[in-house]
Amino acid sequence: MADHNPDSDSTPRTLLRRVLDTADPRTPRRPRSARAGSCALGTLTWLWNLRGTGLERLRARRALLETASSRRLSGQTRTIARGRSHGARSIGRSAHIQASGHLEEQTPRTLLKNILLTAPESSILMPESVVKPVPALQAVQPSRRESSCGSLELQLPELEPPTTLAPGLLAPGRRKQRLRLSMFQQGVDQGLSLSQEPQRNADASSLTRSLNLTFATPLQPQSVQRPGLARRPPARRAVDVGAFLRDLRDTSLAPPNIVLEDTQPFSQPMVGSPDVYHSLPCTPHTGAEDAEQAASHKTQSSGPGLQNNSPGKPAQFLAGEAEEVDAFALGFLSTSSGVSGEDEVEPLHDGVEEVEKKMEEEGVSVSEMEATGAQGPSRVEEAEGHTEVTEAEGSKGTAEADGPGASSGDEDASGRAASPESASSTPESLQARRHHQFLEPAPAPGAAVLSSEPAEPLLVRHPPRPRTTGPRPRQDPHKAGLSHYVKLFSFYAKMPMERKALEMVEKCLDKYFQHLCDDLEVFAAHAGRKTVKPEDLELLMRRQGLVTDQVSLHVLVERHLPLEYRQLLIPCAYSGNSVFPAQ
Amino acid sequence: MALSTIVSQRKQIKRKAPRGFLKRVFKRKKPQLRLEKSGDLLVRFHPFSGWEWVTGEVHLNCLLFVHRLAEESRTNACASKCRVINKEHVLAAAKVILKKSRG
Repeated sequence: MADHNPDSDSTPRTLLRRVLDTADPRTPRRPRSARAGSCALGTLTWLWNLRGTGLERLRARRALLETASSRRLSGQTRTIARGRSHGARSIGRSAHIQASGHLEEQTPRTLLKNILLTAPESSILMPESVVKPVPALQAVQPSRRESSCGSLELQLPELEPPTTLAPGLLAPGRRKQRLRLSMFQQGVDQGLSLSQEPQRNADASSLTRSLNLTFATPLQPQSVQRPGLARRPPARRAVDVGAFLRDLRDTSLAPPNIVLEDTQPFSQPMVGSPDVYHSLPCTPHTGAEDAEQAASHKTQSSGPGLQNNSPGKPAQFLAGEAEEVDAFALGFLSTSSGVSGEDEVEPLHDGVEEVEKKMEEEGVSVSEMEATGAQGPSRVEEAEGHTEVTEAEGSKGTAEADGPGASSGDEDASGRAASPESASSTPESLQARRHHQFLEPAPAPGAAVLSSEPAEPLLVRHPPRPRTTGPRPRQDPHKAGLSHYVKLFSFYAKMPMERKALEMVEKCLDKYFQHLCDDLEVFAAHAGRKTVKPEDLELLMRRQGLVTDQVSLHVLVERHLPLEYRQLLIPCAYSGNSVFPAQ
Repeated sequence: MALSTIVSQRKQIKRKAPRGFLKRVFKRKKPQLRLEKSGDLLVRFHPFSGWEWVTGEVHLNCLLFVHRLAEESRTNACASKCRVINKEHVLAAAKVILKKSRG
């Protein structure tokens, strides 16, 4: 069209046309865009009819164009320009409609539609943010909104809220279209007069409604239009978890027999803990008996003392489940079963969390001897289960021969001895465990004869176990760290070990650390340093005979340390001519 | 940090070096000394920025010591034809290995 507004050389219309001429043949990308485009167009015209002086419109148009061009051209030049021009064109068209009302060969509507079809979806946030500026700048806003509605990625011009709209516009464009659609339906109900396309009417009405409604509407259509966007708690099926726990226990059932013969101090307890934690809430009822079994099996190696550390905790949890969680869990399960689908997740979830918290609290308070009633029975159950198994094995051992029986008994004892240490090592990692005190009594009963085992848990059951919180800060972390190496020792040895042997290993480690520190001090002083450097370590290893001319430090690092440490210790060349770690 | 190499679900060993423990032990024994800290916090190449080389090497040393000790104990136990490692085995092995590790 040749019309030019007298106040600007490049009117939106001309710009639009130019852009479209250059980039008109575009296939529509989304059908929604078409609808949105038409909706936007209708809105634009309607809004223009509602308000806007010619001057304001022109200003808005120009501002829109400028801002849009400045911001968008770099990004999505064509579409944006097209959108811009479309918007401008639509504005111009509406103005023209009011002014002259004659159509052009490329109407703003068609242009806008094309733009919308090919344009990325704009943000659904726009309506919300758009609403804010509307009251502020009625004249400009409607034009902006129109243009933005019309062209999804149209960046509203200099106004702050509109600018903020831009990113919002871009991201969830779909929502806006959906919003418009819902508004369209409402508009249809309202029966707006613009009859060229019902969608446009609806859009216009929706826009006005969004204008007036401010913040109410945007959320609703979002959730209505896109149920997927609504936050949904992860669906958890109690049965699945129960099945999983059962499988877990089944798998753990097999190993215990192996564990007895095998010196793997880090057995099920470590494994079970994460699983148990997760499955804890959801498998109360199923876990009741299995929990005891699993707990008993799991606690075999972890000692009768139970643990308050992760091995013990899951066992405790499991056993505790049998007792307390039964009430909770059954209640939860019943409620969850009563509720359907996702809803059940929430109460189950909450119930689970509560149960977890309670379990944790109980686990924690055991040290304080408060809730040991629950824990005691749970522990007792574990111990009982443990004793059952151990007694069975012990009887088996005795049946076989004295030696093997003794060895199996020793295995159990050593296993139990190892387990408290393994259990203690987990406190080190968990840090928050305050159940170290249990370890002392735990090894003690563990070391006791099997026959004394049943008496122990019985005694324990009723009175809260007086745990000495003794030299915890000093000894326990130290012991915990040592136990880490003790576990490694038993792993490397690959043979069953006595509990006393493990204690011996601890003493050796103590001495070794002492020697190590002394040597490092001497080496650092020899080099005139007060800081121990890796060179000192290398010298030490060389003197120890670990590092030789044939075997270098790096070889040792590669052999014994996991990959992450290797990366840190062995200099390696990376791209960019850089070496890490730096020499 | 690498927490464990999962050999199997049951045989789960923590391969993580107890940095805190090692540092604490060193500080306690030799408060006047310092362990060198890695100054190269080049994060882009590794997720474990700030890891101390010295601590890692100390951990390696401990691993090797424990390894040697275990091997020696095992040898002693097998030599005495026991199926279980006894305290005596460990004691004898410790004597030998500590002497060796004295440097």
